[in-house]
Amino acid sequence: MVRITQVYEAHLVGEGDWISATEVCQLCRIDLAAVQELAELGVVVGVRDSGAGWQMPASTLPRLRIVGALMRDLGVNASGAALALELLETQRVLERRIADLERLANGH
Amino acid sequence: MEYRDYYKVLGVERSVTADALKTAYRRLARKYHPDVSKESNAEARFKEVQEAYEVLKDPEKRAAYDQLGANWKSGEQFRPPPDWGAGYEFSGGPPPGARRGRTSRAQGAGNSGGAQFSQEQFSDFFSSLFGGGSPFAEAGAEEDGGRAARDHHARVDIQLEEAFHGTTRTLELRRPSLGADGRVELTNHTVRVTIPAGVTEGQLIRLAGQGAAAGGGGPAGDLYLEAHILPDPRYALDGRDVTLTLPLAPWEAALGASVTVPTLGGSVSMQIPAGSQTGQKLRLRGRGLPGNPPGDEYVQLKIVLPPASSAEAKAVYEEMRAKLAFNPRADLGV
Repeated sequence: MVRITQVYEAHLVGEGDWISATEVCQLCRIDLAAVQELAELGVVVGVRDSGAGWQMPASTLPRLRIVGALMRDLGVNASGAALALELLETQRVLERRIADLERLANGH
Repeated sequence: MEYRDYYKVLGVERSVTADALKTAYRRLARKYHPDVSKESNAEARFKEVQEAYEVLKDPEKRAAYDQLGANWKSGEQFRPPPDWGAGYEFSGGPPPGARRGRTSRAQGAGNSGGAQFSQEQFSDFFSSLFGGGSPFAEAGAEEDGGRAARDHHARVDIQLEEAFHGTTRTLELRRPSLGADGRVELTNHTVRVTIPAGVTEGQLIRLAGQGAAAGGGGPAGDLYLEAHILPDPRYALDGRDVTLTLPLAPWEAALGASVTVPTLGGSVSMQIPAGSQTGQKLRLRGRGLPGNPPGDEYVQLKIVLPPASSAEAKAVYEEMRAKLAFNPRADLGV
């Protein structure tokens, strides 16, 4: 076993960043056909780059990572994963709302 | 290391068919998937289930695993037999996900937090039987001949205040790499990462060139950390916006007041308008997480009644009852 300590500066992959569809596929472990289907479903938005490829905003990565994991781990197709994602996001909004109300009712 | 009973993990008999095995896996994966489940130990259980399925779905791995015998119990001390893997031909490769985007195991050092992230982070039991250096790992372990660089992923847990100010994390990364003899071996790396201010939930943090080195002299992959912001007792987080519940005395809400409000960047003075009500939200622009644009802090008002626990307090309430023509149930028509 080798033990090395190195110090790295990190870069936040954020709103201003655009990532190629190929890299998105690699990061989210999802195939290109699924990404295209998700784009058709409106889950993600892509634009054509100067070549023949697609670019996507990095802000879509967290959503695509979840979709990729659901497709891979649960065996659902792109439409099913997109529906599950939207339901999960709705659930989280409602949970936040409930938490807000509980804070009002119970203290901090 | 401890023996793992993969059949027990999936809740199936040793004679289970491939179809029934898949059904059992899907059922448990649905129950414990970390993106879906609310179970407290979902992530750990999901990894156990994945690990078990990874072995049992593959006829060759399953046959080899079955050869260990049916008398082992989960948790028993175990060492692989010296002739482990002998006599098998392995046609399969690594798990599909392991062929690209190979994963690092990241653990926070000290109190820095951190968690395992991906499905390839299986137990030592799995690693000793099917991981780096085993005949199973060698078979087709690099479908591209090891030329492609591999990105590594890890999850990092951080406090909300750290997301606001930026922070440093020391991570233990366990990476597969090719040894001198061409075998895959796991190497521990300790890295210190400076995470910039303004990271949001689920956001990826890229460390260029810090993933696995590619074989054949190609460029190394990147290390990606996925930020997970831990729940904060004071603030609720939504994107870059935070919400704080601010208790107010009835007279502050009724008459208006200037109050001190905590924000992630320090306390500020805020004017409460007269006639404020519980549930009303006021916005402190730009006081959420940093970014372009920065998030806002929403201050949700909550009127707190002083207890009528003294003669003086009771007298004040009595006086209000006598002097204020106030019916809180007027909207109900009663």
